[in-house]
Amino acid sequence: MEKELLFEAKKLSKHFGPTIALDEVDFKVYRGQITGLIGENGSGKSTITSIAAGMQPATSGEMFFKGQAHKPSTMIEGAKAGIGMIVQEQGTVSGISVAQNIFLGEEGRFKKAGLISKRKMNAEARKVLDNIRFYDVNPAAPIDSLNMQDRKLVEIAKVMYENPEMLVVDETTTALSQHGREIIYDIMRRMRDDNKAVVFISHDLEELIETCDTLTVLRDGKLITTLNKDEMKEDVIKRYMVGREMSEHYYREDYGGKISDEVVLKAESITTGTGMLMDFSMELHKGEILGIGGLSHCGMHELGRALFGEEKILEGKVTDVKTGDTITSPRSALLHGYGYVSKNRDTEALVLTASIKDNILAAGYDKVQKGPFLLPKDAKNYVNKQKDALSIKCASINQEVQYLSGGNKQKVVFGKWVGRDCDILILDCPTRGVDIGVKAAMYDLIDKMRKEGKSIVMISEELTELIGMSDRLLILKDGSLAGEFMRSKELSENDIINVMI
Amino acid sequence: MKTKKLNAKLIGNLAPYIGLIAVCVIFGLLTNGKLYSVTNLQSLTCQIIVTALATIGSIFVFGAGFFDISVTGCICFAAVLGGMATIKTGSLFVGLIVVIIVSLAFGIMKGVFASLVNVPFFIFTIVLGSVLSAAVLVILGSETTLYLRNAVTPVREFSFNEISIINIICLAGFFVVCLILFNYTSLGVKVKNMGGNIVSAKQSGISTKKTTITVFVICAIGFAIAAFLIMIRTRTVGGSTASGVGNDVMVALVLGGMPLSGGPKSKISAGILGAATITILNSGLSIMGLDTGQIQIFRGVIFIVVVLISSFSYRGKLLPR
Repeated sequence: MEKELLFEAKKLSKHFGPTIALDEVDFKVYRGQITGLIGENGSGKSTITSIAAGMQPATSGEMFFKGQAHKPSTMIEGAKAGIGMIVQEQGTVSGISVAQNIFLGEEGRFKKAGLISKRKMNAEARKVLDNIRFYDVNPAAPIDSLNMQDRKLVEIAKVMYENPEMLVVDETTTALSQHGREIIYDIMRRMRDDNKAVVFISHDLEELIETCDTLTVLRDGKLITTLNKDEMKEDVIKRYMVGREMSEHYYREDYGGKISDEVVLKAESITTGTGMLMDFSMELHKGEILGIGGLSHCGMHELGRALFGEEKILEGKVTDVKTGDTITSPRSALLHGYGYVSKNRDTEALVLTASIKDNILAAGYDKVQKGPFLLPKDAKNYVNKQKDALSIKCASINQEVQYLSGGNKQKVVFGKWVGRDCDILILDCPTRGVDIGVKAAMYDLIDKMRKEGKSIVMISEELTELIGMSDRLLILKDGSLAGEFMRSKELSENDIINVMI
Repeated sequence: MKTKKLNAKLIGNLAPYIGLIAVCVIFGLLTNGKLYSVTNLQSLTCQIIVTALATIGSIFVFGAGFFDISVTGCICFAAVLGGMATIKTGSLFVGLIVVIIVSLAFGIMKGVFASLVNVPFFIFTIVLGSVLSAAVLVILGSETTLYLRNAVTPVREFSFNEISIINIICLAGFFVVCLILFNYTSLGVKVKNMGGNIVSAKQSGISTKKTTITVFVICAIGFAIAAFLIMIRTRTVGGSTASGVGNDVMVALVLGGMPLSGGPKSKISAGILGAATITILNSGLSIMGLDTGQIQIFRGVIFIVVVLISSFSYRGKLLPR
């Protein structure tokens, strides 16, 4: 049966300064199909869908939706046209009820003599939730009383309430349990059966193969191929995803190295204030890259913060083994030779309005000081050295960090710690939001530091990165250790996912 | 595109100078040159210096991201206690010591509060400011003003030239020390990072508590010198001592080219430039015959306009949100 074309992108491109996120991609979505999108981070999957939904404009190219030219300038316009999108990040507003979240901006519908009838709104919300078969939530409950997954489901209900013709599910399932996933799969199948369309973005190959009718593979902003149901085989998809770069030098290539017995950092049964880590213990050895992975909310980011003295620890302690001191604050961590790259680069790791110089000096001024004095010339030399070593692309070191690209911003964050010559580096999602070229440079740098005998904790949401770089890999689940893997060529994502979920 | 950005940056950097020159020229013309009469110049210098001292000190505090509304209260309180001590003992030196101790005590108190207590700091300073104003009235009791001439033994009276010399030495000394601290030690880096993003500053290993107390202590020294200079020049202290200085400091910071939210754009030159601009503005307006209320309104308008204009050019924030 000939399928009807619902959405089409022609030569769609998106540039962020010198970075090409999307390179003249032709992409089609047909009615009555679930179209999968897969690719490494930064390959352009989310860029296509976010342009289609009106989150950002394209640099060039055309889009057509239901046969009409489609150029939404906001997400509201995109939604009106009939494109609904469920994203990876939290999309609910805290402080109000479930029903209020669903009908945000449309409260007028429930107006009665100038007042909003909560009863009516809740009743209507019930219907909307029932529609996606999400029965075990009270529409009147405050949204904050719901866990991550249920909030995600409320968000989905909200999107479905708009009755979209094309639904985009962008890496939503990673945050969900099997029950939550079933609800989403069910919605996707019903959309397909109603002759609507679904674009499904996921990292989970099995999930994609099982659910999708066609699968489009992207790499470095280019469309590589589109596979039919019978062509979808894990190894085939992977080969298309990774292309040739993978076989060349990207991650480190050594296997079978021995990890030193010397322990440099120890966490002993720590329970953090946010309750994200429960009675957790680990050791970091000298000269190893210790990978930490897990689903979101598994406690891995809190672990990174706790190791750097940034997270409130209720019980247990983090010890610097060489000195026997307890790490209690970022300052004490710094003084023991630790460095920390936060996951939230723009809000935690950088002062965006400050220059590259002031940002790098923030962590390294004591390395430049002569007595009490910090001479501008010395400061400049120190920062220039980091700039050159990391090849930060900038007009001058006095340029404000906010005008740099994501990759260069991340290099500035690295520059803060590399300059200090830290012995222990805690990296939380160090390659988040950086393009492949910068990624490769980061991996090189991390490996170089390992070879210099530095110890690295690498927390990441990307399994390929963890597998490719770690000497040892700890997988967390619900704030506890769920599994430990040693570096091996045979280690696969599936082995890890099994303990993650 | 790049040159445009550079030009905008250059204009942004020069704006405080242009503003100062514009105010000098415009009010020189509007007052038919009276602004530059010898007597007015003398009193202008004194006022600029007091405001500049308080503003330079405040650059550290505002720069690190603390919005302090208790400037007037702190200076007034220190001056009144210093004045009382001088009158009781007849010694200016004792007065000076009291002014410094009181000022430092408040500085340390604010520093400790700002670094330890989890309440928005500016709320604390609103309360502190009004409590101090009230406390001054309580201490003064039935008197409204205390005169140094009523001291137990006569207090030395300085000639105008002497006052000018003391003023200039004090300002120059404090300015140079602050300039060195800000630009040639790590303190400037710490202040800019704290004001720009306190989370990032902490994660960079900056000891924010120590830095907070340091900035308040430096600021308190500026306030103490300002309070002492007011005392020896006017030879009176009372509830209205230093009134308006707090507002002038905030306007001066903005006119000097620094955002009130502090951060990376903080600079010491803002203290002198801004203090000169706002004081000349005040003086010009009062020579033109405007009363205090009208001057207040006019300054308010200028303040809003400057904040508005600078919010166009800064992508960052000028006022704390």
